[in-house]
Parts: sequence; structure tokens; C-alpha cells
Amino acid sequence: MDIPIIFDKSWQEGFLKRLEEDGPWSNWDLYDLANQAEKQLLVPEFKGLVAPKFLVNFTPLEHQIETARRVVEEMNGKAILADEVGLGKTIEAGLILKEYMIRGLVKKVLILVPASLVSQWVKELNDKFHIPAVAFKKSYPWDQMDCIVSSLDTAKKSPHRETILEQSYDMIIIDEAHKLKNHKTKNYEFAQSLKKKFCLLLTATPIQNKIEEVFNLVSLLKPGHLGSYQEFVDKYKNKHSYNDVDLKNLIAKVMIRNLRKDTGVEWTKRHVETVYIEFSKEERDLYDYISSLRQEHSGIVNSAFSFLTLQREACSSKEAVYVTVKKMMEQSESPLKDSFFETVLQKIQQITKNSKAEKAVELIKEIDDKVIIFTEYRASQLYLQWFLKQHGITSVPFRGGFRRGKKEWMKELFENHAQVFIATEAGGEGINLQFCSHIINFDLPWNPMRLEQRIGRIHRYGQEKDVHIYNFAIKNTIEEHILHLLYEKIDLFRRVIGELDEILARLEFGSMEDHMIDIFKRSASVGEMKVKLDNLASMVELAEMMREENEHATAGDSKLS
Amino acid sequence: MQQQEIQSFLESFFTATGCQIEKNLPGELTVQLTIDMDKALMNRPFYWHYIEKTGGIPNPMKLTLFTDFSKKGKKKGEWIHFGSNRLHQIFKTARQMGSYIRLYEKARGGKSRQIPLDPWLCVNMKISYQCHLKKDHYRSIGLNLINGAMMENFHQEVSKIKNQLSPKIPDFCFTLSPLIKVPSGLRRIEQFIIKGIEQEEHQWAEEARKKWQEDINLLEKFYENDVEKTVNYFNEMKAIQEQYEPKINISIINGGIFYLTRERFFHV
Repeated sequence: MDIPIIFDKSWQEGFLKRLEEDGPWSNWDLYDLANQAEKQLLVPEFKGLVAPKFLVNFTPLEHQIETARRVVEEMNGKAILADEVGLGKTIEAGLILKEYMIRGLVKKVLILVPASLVSQWVKELNDKFHIPAVAFKKSYPWDQMDCIVSSLDTAKKSPHRETILEQSYDMIIIDEAHKLKNHKTKNYEFAQSLKKKFCLLLTATPIQNKIEEVFNLVSLLKPGHLGSYQEFVDKYKNKHSYNDVDLKNLIAKVMIRNLRKDTGVEWTKRHVETVYIEFSKEERDLYDYISSLRQEHSGIVNSAFSFLTLQREACSSKEAVYVTVKKMMEQSESPLKDSFFETVLQKIQQITKNSKAEKAVELIKEIDDKVIIFTEYRASQLYLQWFLKQHGITSVPFRGGFRRGKKEWMKELFENHAQVFIATEAGGEGINLQFCSHIINFDLPWNPMRLEQRIGRIHRYGQEKDVHIYNFAIKNTIEEHILHLLYEKIDLFRRVIGELDEILARLEFGSMEDHMIDIFKRSASVGEMKVKLDNLASMVELAEMMREENEHATAGDSKLS
Repeated sequence: MQQQEIQSFLESFFTATGCQIEKNLPGELTVQLTIDMDKALMNRPFYWHYIEKTGGIPNPMKLTLFTDFSKKGKKKGEWIHFGSNRLHQIFKTARQMGSYIRLYEKARGGKSRQIPLDPWLCVNMKISYQCHLKKDHYRSIGLNLINGAMMENFHQEVSKIKNQLSPKIPDFCFTLSPLIKVPSGLRRIEQFIIKGIEQEEHQWAEEARKKWQEDINLLEKFYENDVEKTVNYFNEMKAIQEQYEPKINISIINGGIFYLTRERFFHV
């Protein structure tokens, strides 16, 4: 067989030169040590993993090693790693990268991750894997460092973009790759143009709603694996695609998804408690006023949805309501707006306390340990920060908009100095806080996925204690309805992470959030809302039954479900 | 590599490079580095630049290395293991410093009986079989430059008589000048290795080429509707070539000339 054989001649030149110049020569010991060293680094077999031998600071879990082995041996180094949240996808990627580096197959690496995770990746690769990864800085040119970690947002911007696209990478790793599901975005187009020999895409939510998204993700990794776009759409568009065995098998060839229940890892327990809170008379007044307007469709603002937002905000803090109302008034041209604005202001001024915040302080003192508070509203976040300070409780704020350095700094402050971490929704993704085991959901998002992500910040690999989650809900408000659905009907909080998205995907059900908005926006009465919520819950139940049946039917089948 | 092996490797390395070993306990090694070793290992070029410019008194560092995990953190020093960068830096230094050798067998001749020594050319090699996977083989070949005899596992054999080797030509010995010149000796070894490889079974390469072709087919399919092929198409095509294309790389770890008595490897 005709295989190119390349004989490196660089040694010979040096040798002939030494012969001519009569030295210098090495001594026997060093000569022999050089041989020993090189023999130690030889990898005598194609198969198997040598990377674990190089790790001493930690021992990877069995499913992580098995995943790395399959990616290297069976998937030829191109894979979607889609473990459920918290099973250690970073570890798997690190293992694979290390294996290739030891074998000398990979040298130049680009790792694209959310900005808030850059430092964490750099630290893990260095500490756990002894891979000299660096975070991108202006002083480290793209073409001169071998292993760079950067945010996708930085990388895709000029002039970085141009330099990066000139490089030939041996391996590209993209974390949170579900952000690349839409092939029309700049992110996707950028990722597609990268030159890459091996590639790992990491995502916890590979399948959400649209079958095209799976196509886009796989085509980024291995163009043509699912055929051309047209072919794919013709074949799968109108079927219950997630049950299609052919498609499943095809996807299983490029994707590994470990589920918690299969890993044999013992997870700490999750305790969920709903804390019902009564409004004060003044708070109730404000809420009722807003609700009454919504019923009347007063035309002060165009969208009924805005009132819905106001209702939810009234359950959080008067500050949140104020900010929104002020903005609405600036945009509104209704003649009634002045009287509406005045009434709301008046009602806000009547309010002397925030019942939820008081409950939070009481609870934090009782917990007497680190606590994360999640709120959807920035105004509530600011208020809470002030309010906790009044009660001598130290806290740090956290928002998605913080720069990388600030995020790290806030995390460190929380870990070492402050008792409470107050995060807004956008801050929920991409930061790991497993040193803390209490979460207060000061208000609730409508998208259950976001709730999972919140909980996933602490209930993950590395958490040693049982996790406590407190859901705050004001009695007799829209909040109570939401919680009722999520908690009692769908039993969301008891589920393991990652289960619900699969259930919904199976049903080709659309986004949970869309359903929620629809229900709360279009329902004419509380009665109608409840009926609709019940329907939604039954659909989820049905999907779950289908899932279980399917599991029985394909027991022992691939891990993709 | 076990922790104990690492310790004994380090011990040999620092001794061979002329560093003073100040403490040598089980699992713990403290060494006073020489100036050269400080420059090679401690990564402080500015310090050395400064000392040399100002004519200051050089103060090379001491290095404490632990191979026993339980000693970590108790005392000041570095924890060294098979995966640590420090060990690989030392490996690399050993390779750089141990590349070329010339040694003579200490034969006992006399004034009346001078002993001739045969030149042996030795090359230690790493042969890497590479596609999307990779494996390495080690080969050590010796070639007698007088009679053309070739010997496998030369390094292993010559190690057995390492105590009888000297960097200087011993008294009452003389070297025979090679009938085969060194460059052509190197070519002989190269040809010998390549010929051997060509006769091996290369199922791995066939499999890799098959996978390569499969992925080409998929790629063609994916872009089949494009009238004009895009940059991405060509990039991908090149990337899968780099991913799968089988090739064999041979690199020389180290080698040199050994002058040995004719009887030494007579059996070859």
C-alpha cells in the first residue's frame, strides 16, 4: 500500500556538523535519559486512552472516560457532547483534548465559550489537565498561542475574526453550542467557516423544538451526515421525527448524551419548598388596580401583555412596577395616561414594606449559610441589595451584562466574603456556584428551562450537600397560578434536570414559554386560565407516558432518547 | 511511569547535568541547580540578562520536587508526576542535551598489541503511524561501518556495557576508518527502516482511507446544489484530508558513533 513516509532529516545535519567539528558530544547518562524519556512518551497502540495516566489531581468518572474513548475511537474526533447539565461535559472535552495532545495529533486549539466561563475553562484545563490554555487577550496574538479560550462574541468581531479564519486549527471546541442552532445567524456562519480537523460541540439542550436545529448543529460538525438541507427537510419535516429510528441512529453516531440516571453517580437530594406570602393591604391595592385595568382593556397601553408584565412585577417589587410604568408613559399617547400614571404612583407611595423581601431576610437569617436569590427584575435586584444591607446581610449583585472580569470578581466575593448572591435572569447561565446549596426564587420565570438553568448553577457535579430551593409566591396572584402549574401539575422541581426538554421535544409541542404567555394573555377570566393550565399539564403528562412506553420498547437501545 | 521511577529519573538527570543533590529522601528531592540548568528550567531570562549586564553574582535556584503525594503542601516545593509540565520540560531538556554521542570501548591493549575498534553508527528512532488515530514504535539500529552488519535493539545491547565505554579513546587502541561513509550509512539505515515498513500490513491505513472517502461523499452530497463550490467546501475538504490521511513519520530521537572491539558484537 502506498503510504507517504516522511523521514525527518534535521537530526542528521547536526550529527554531521559535530563529526566535522569534533563535538560537542553528550555524556552517556543524558543520552540514555533522552531515550528513556522518549520511550515513556510513546503511545504504542491506536486504541485506548492514555490521558488518564497523565492526570493526578482528579479521577474522571466512568461515563466521562467512556465518552472520551468513544469520541476518539468511534467518532473520529468529531462529536456533540450533550450530557445533561452538571455531568461534566467540560471534563469530557478536556480528556479528549488531552488524549489528542499526548498523541501529537492536536497542537493548535481554539475554545469558544460564553464570556462568563472563559476563566473557568482556562483554570480547569490548566489545573486538571495540565494543558497550557490561555484566555484571549490583546497581547496574545491568535496566531502565536497554541491553546486559546475566548468568547464567541469576541472571536467573531473584526479584526479577530479575520485572523482566526486564517488559522488552521487542529481542534475547535464550542461550549453552549445550542446557540448555533440557527444557520442564518452570524455566529453560525462564523463557526462554519472555521478550519478544523477535530471538533467538539457541547450543549445540554441539543433538542428543543425544531428538527432543523438538530440538522444545523450536526451539519456544523460533519456536513452531509444528515444529507443536504433539502433532502433532510423532505424526509423528516412532517413526521414525528424524534421517534424516527433511522434519524436516531444517525444522530447517535455523532452525539453522546449521558443521563443522570445512567451514570451511577450519586446525586445529592433536591428539596423544594413553596413559600406563600400574603400581600400587605397597600401592595394588594396596587396589584388589584393593575389587574382591574387589564380586565377593562383600557387602551392606555397597546399590549395586554404589558399589563401581564406589570402584574408579575407587582409581585416582585414596587420598584420594578415603577420603572416599567414610567417607560410605558413615555411611549403612550393615550389621553388617559396621566391619570393612570398618577394613580399608580400614588399607590406605590402608599406601600411601606415589601412582604417578599421581609420574608427573604427572615429565611436568610434562618438558613445562616450562603444563599442565591434569583429575580427577573433589575429594579428588584437593586432594592434587595439595599434592603439586605439595612439588615446587616452582605450581598453581591450579578448580571449577564457584567464584563468577564467583573463576573469572576463577583463570584469570588460571594465565595469568600458575602452571604448572598443576587442574580437577575441573564446571570443565570454560565456560572457555577456549587459551593452554595440554597436558592431563593424571589419571582418565577415562565420558561421552565430557565428554572432548570437556575437550579443547575448549584445542583451539579461537585455539589456535596443536599440542595434547597425556596419558591416565593404571593397568594391569590398570577404567580400562584404559575407555581401551581410548574410545581404541582408538571412536578417540575422533582424532575431531574434535562428531562422536561426531552418530553416537550417528543411532543413537538412548541415552546413552554409561548404556551404560558398565550394562557395568561388571552384568557378572559381566571377560570379560563385554570382550565388552560390543566390542559397544558395533561399534555406534558401524555408526553411523559409516551416517553416511558418508548423506553420500554427500546430498552437497551442507544442513549439518545 | 510510577512515582518511584520518576524520582530515579530525576536523580539521574540532575546528577548527569552536574547539579548538586542536597536532599534525597523517599518521595522528595532537593537540588542546587547549576547556572545552565537554572537557565534551562526556571524560565527567568530577565534575571539572567540583568546579572550578565551588571556583572552581578549569579545565584542559581534550588529546586525541591515531591514525588510522594502525601508530602504535598506540608513543605515548600513542587509536586511532580507523569502529567506535570515540569517533568515534560525536563524530558525535553534531556532530549536536547542527549542528542549526539561518541564513545569508545575501553579495550585493554598493550604497547605490542594495539587494538582496533570498529565504528558503529547508531540511530534511535520513533516511527509514528498517523491517521485520525496514532501509534508510535521505537527502533534502535546499529550499523557497522566496516562490514555493513546491521543490528536491532542496538541501544539496549550497548547499555549492557555502558561501564566499559569512555568519551576518550583508550590507550593502545586505534579506530578503523569507516569503509562506509557516515552519510551513506545513514541512508542505509533509512532504506532498511522504510523497506521494513513497506512490507508491513497496513490495515489501519486502508480503514482510514475508507472513512476519508465516506466523509468526502457526505460532503459532496451536502454541497451538491451549489453551482460554484464555496470556500467552506474547500476548507472542509482539506480538513477531512488532514483528519484521515494516513502517513508515517520517522524522527530520530538521538544517536551517534560507538567505537567497539570486533568481538563485541561478533555474532551479528
